[in-house]
Amino acid sequence: MSGMDRFCASERFEYLQGLVTEFQDTDSEEAKEQVLANLANFAYDPRNMEALRMLQVTELFLDMLTEENENFVEFGIGGLCNISMDQECRDQILESEGIPLVVGCLSSLRDETVLSAITTLMNLSTAASHSKITDSAVVQCMLRFSLTQNPRLSNLATVFLQDYCSQEQVNRARELMEGHSQSAVGIPLPKN
Amino acid sequence: MDSEKESVPVEEGVEEDPRSMFCCLCKTGFFVSGETGASCLPPCRSLGETTSSVNCSNRPYGTDGDRETTRTRVLRCCRGRWVIIMAALKPGSVWDTPQVYKHHEQQSACLTRPKYREGRRLKAVKVYTINLESRFLLVQGVPAVGVMTELVQLFALYGVVEEYRVLDEYPAEQFTEVYLIKFQKLTSARAAKRKTDERSFYGGLLHVCYAPEHETVEDTRRKLQDRRRYVYRNTQRLEREREQEQATEKTTPASSETPAPSSVYEDRTCPRSSQEDNCSSSTSSSFPLLPLPPHERVHQHYVSSKDSFKSVKTVHEGSVPTEDRMGSLHNFIPSNRAPDDCKQTTQWSDLPSGSTFGNEERSIIKKPKHPPSTAPRFIPRTAQLENRKRKMEDSTDLLGVADRNAPLYGPKLPELPKMDMEDASLNKTANIIRQTMSKVASVPSEKKTTAVKARRRI
Repeated sequence: MSGMDRFCASERFEYLQGLVTEFQDTDSEEAKEQVLANLANFAYDPRNMEALRMLQVTELFLDMLTEENENFVEFGIGGLCNISMDQECRDQILESEGIPLVVGCLSSLRDETVLSAITTLMNLSTAASHSKITDSAVVQCMLRFSLTQNPRLSNLATVFLQDYCSQEQVNRARELMEGHSQSAVGIPLPKN
Repeated sequence: MDSEKESVPVEEGVEEDPRSMFCCLCKTGFFVSGETGASCLPPCRSLGETTSSVNCSNRPYGTDGDRETTRTRVLRCCRGRWVIIMAALKPGSVWDTPQVYKHHEQQSACLTRPKYREGRRLKAVKVYTINLESRFLLVQGVPAVGVMTELVQLFALYGVVEEYRVLDEYPAEQFTEVYLIKFQKLTSARAAKRKTDERSFYGGLLHVCYAPEHETVEDTRRKLQDRRRYVYRNTQRLEREREQEQATEKTTPASSETPAPSSVYEDRTCPRSSQEDNCSSSTSSSFPLLPLPPHERVHQHYVSSKDSFKSVKTVHEGSVPTEDRMGSLHNFIPSNRAPDDCKQTTQWSDLPSGSTFGNEERSIIKKPKHPPSTAPRFIPRTAQLENRKRKMEDSTDLLGVADRNAPLYGPKLPELPKMDMEDASLNKTANIIRQTMSKVASVPSEKKTTAVKARRRI
């Protein structure tokens, strides 16, 4: 991050643009992964948000969520997790109907992917999108996560339940789950 | 940990449902246990509710100690009885037997990056998110020679250390120890990690990683909130700075004039910067028509010397791919004659109205905006170049269009031999036809030609 301190905005933009171009042009999976990881990490720094927004990197990240390569998914959702902290980027993601894609990541077997997805969902929560994000299936999923052995996952899911869901929603989800508990238990939890 | 589970009386016959965490009776109580005890807590401690009055006959341990409230596990109260759920399997408190997580491992650094995105330090291909960060740091590879004080002193350089402890149970290499260090602030932990990871320390190589699994729910919540607030504040600040820049630039255009010639150049590089035109000119300032790479260098200097010029960002708002960027250098020149290109027109909307200037007049366009002292050296030269190129093209073009579209940089294809009609009169006619063709072709493709020509200089 501080490595970019000495660069001004236009240089930033050019550099990021170069990355996006390389990502689109290259055929090498390895290079794609590297560039995607770079972009996702750059999305951590608020100074890059504007450039990334202009480059439609949110779309790029969202595209990655449906890739077969698990690394692409992990980096893509990681990037979304970072970039969705910014409100304008958040709106961009919401406009592109990103919620179902992000929710899909909750089923990943990689815990980093799942963690990023939970945080992204929290970031995406607005008055308008709230009902979609606290869909009963999602809440049930969070309930399950909140009881896993993985402390990071359970902490994050607990925060989600406490801060983003009403008590009613949680209770309802819990009852629903108890109704067919066995099937719910069968859903695999992310590994470490 | 398993032993802990056994030691806890679990009511028989109660359906174990590890997915619920609220008391079946009161629907509110979280049950939490710590290292040494357990207590009944309201669902949202942050709301400050008091402990719900559930009569739990089967409390596994004693009641509140002072430590267990912060290091907790969710239990469940079922039909009036507390049942531990998963708690025994989870590391219950901060100082429980640590588990080795994947994110503790050091991933191998990536050696296959191309130069332009190879940082100064080799790094693994990995994405950091706020989830991975934490104010808890795990320090591996500390030589077991009794240097705990020194270690803590080292880390205290980066911020207040709240707690630290050696993790005896954590699998470590021989003769090394593993420490857990809890900073007061995440930023301190981040700085410490950056600076101490892979540093040698009393003959050992430290491996420092975040240990977010030691966070409590409250830690996690605060971490996320802080992060959101930080991003929000920063984007606001950047926004404000940019607006200020714009405002100052607009009110005092004269002050930013010194760096004139380059600004002209720069303007052209970023087509859609219409409103920010002024800012951009000031920022890019003071470098002549240099080839691109040095150009960036100069730029950098300039920025570092004048921090206030951060507004350049806006310049590139919505700007287009590099190729275009290069091309647009030249769009600028013909744009005066052929203002059909919308980009150009917006770009020049700021300029003193004159959209019908020849090459020579370009300097004049600039002059009102910038002091003449710096300008004149370059403009005549570009004008000359333009003229020369046009002449060359006019004379060599066989059929205009084809040649004009061909790139002018790099090795050229051999010129098409002019066909000899074997008759002076026929040759003359052929030449006239060629010239006419080139003229006709040159009119609509004017823009392209110049764009291509422009690249030569780069």
